[in-house]
Amino acid sequence: MSAKEYFAEHRRFWIGICSVFVLVCAWELTLTYIFPVNPFFFTKPSLIGTAFLEQIQSAKLWHDLAVSSQAFIWGFSFAVVIGIPLGLVMGWRRRVEYSLDPFLTALYASPLVALAPLFIIIFGVGVTGKAALVFLLAVFPFVFNTFAGVKSTDSLLINVIRSFGGDEKDLYLKVILPSTIPYIIAGARLAIGRGLVGIIVGEFYAASEGIGFAISQAGDTYRLPEMFVGIIILSLIAVVLTELMRKLESTVAPWRASDEVR
Amino acid sequence: MQPKKFFAEHESFILGTGFIVLLLIVWESIPLWYTLPRGMALFFTTPSKIAAAFYELLLNGTIEKHFYVSAIAFLVGLGLSIVVGIPLGLIMGRSRTLEDLLDPYITAANATPRIVFLPLLILWFGIGIWSKILIVFAGAVFPLLINTYVGVKNVNRVLVNVVRSFGANEWQLMKIVVLPNSVPYIIAGLRLAIGRAILGVVVGEFFGSSQGLGYMIASAATNYKVDVVFVGVFIFMALSVILTLAVKQLESRLASWRPETAKTF
Repeated sequence: MSAKEYFAEHRRFWIGICSVFVLVCAWELTLTYIFPVNPFFFTKPSLIGTAFLEQIQSAKLWHDLAVSSQAFIWGFSFAVVIGIPLGLVMGWRRRVEYSLDPFLTALYASPLVALAPLFIIIFGVGVTGKAALVFLLAVFPFVFNTFAGVKSTDSLLINVIRSFGGDEKDLYLKVILPSTIPYIIAGARLAIGRGLVGIIVGEFYAASEGIGFAISQAGDTYRLPEMFVGIIILSLIAVVLTELMRKLESTVAPWRASDEVR
Repeated sequence: MQPKKFFAEHESFILGTGFIVLLLIVWESIPLWYTLPRGMALFFTTPSKIAAAFYELLLNGTIEKHFYVSAIAFLVGLGLSIVVGIPLGLIMGRSRTLEDLLDPYITAANATPRIVFLPLLILWFGIGIWSKILIVFAGAVFPLLINTYVGVKNVNRVLVNVVRSFGANEWQLMKIVVLPNSVPYIIAGLRLAIGRAILGVVVGEFFGSSQGLGYMIASAATNYKVDVVFVGVFIFMALSVILTLAVKQLESRLASWRPETAKTF
């Protein structure tokens, strides 16, 4: 009985695990017994597993991850520092909104990664170019989500602050910023995805180290297991970061329905 | 009409375009009041040079040739993702077992930037059009799939029960209730998918390619033809804005009752 209840509660989790397990087994068995694997074009889980163990023991993988995260953190921090204030001002000052909205919307809608080659030739293959690319991609979710958050601030609260003689600073710090935080976190979730795109494209395009470079180099030299290790590590990082933001979102603002369109 | 009243009425338009015009003027006039060092001048261009380059490339057919290649990759990839994403989303929304089975892959694939699969796709499908089509597909299919699925999940249970009580089978249920109810979500998904698809085209053509607008940008950048880079960037920008606005229009027409949320692309 209790086992059944337990299964009903964790149904999704266990079915998911089984599904992944069956797929991995089927992949392994098919390529071992039915179609013998051609290591140049295809690989199987056991080879990926061996490569994985080898990679996490080598210093190169950690070095690559450190290089990539350094660029990511710089770009992302600048996006936070510039995006949030800009969104606040845009949401609060009508004229600023009117002036900036069409311009920034056009930039947000367009694939700014198209600027990647230019950034790389201007800033070089180091951290700066990648960080600039990450910043450019990640800043807009912050701007527009902060903006939407300010717009949805309860005007009653604003009037209360005003009535009690609060000045502009109190207004921003005590009402607008707190009620905007859930939106900012949702923006951060989008920004993480876009920032990762920036890192990967920058490193695919021209780099000498970093996780994106490791993936593309493994691909160029037909080392498929190593390429899969890179891809798996990158998706693990992406999933962990995204789910963290989702958790944070529902902790900070449990009233906001989580079924919002992703 | 008094100018003041006119300004007040059209304030958002005037300020919006004014800001863009101002930016362009400032950009254009930078070389006039500041001589760039030689190293920087190599990377610098002005709007008038970009316009001249655009005109020239348009006349000699370069843009047309590259545009055609990019458009095919975009349209086929997006078409494939619509054909796969929407039906799969509908079925996943109706079947809990399938949903649970596929959930881990979809969560992982949605969080991961699909661009990482590009080297793999190039390895498997070569540097021709198919690797581009598939990277566009990989980018665009998840927003469509997930939005369709969310739309099906949010269908009013009462309506489902009514149609069931009158003896409809699963197919009729899908046609009468579920699909019409999910349309706004699907359109919202389509808007996201278009953005992802364009991203796929750009990046797909950066690497291992000899045609397409993305290739034009990448090769111009390696030859320090900055104005041509900007021509490509502005073409992509214009296309994205036009397509996004078109879908937005459709969205607001089909779903004027839905509350406004933050912009997402």
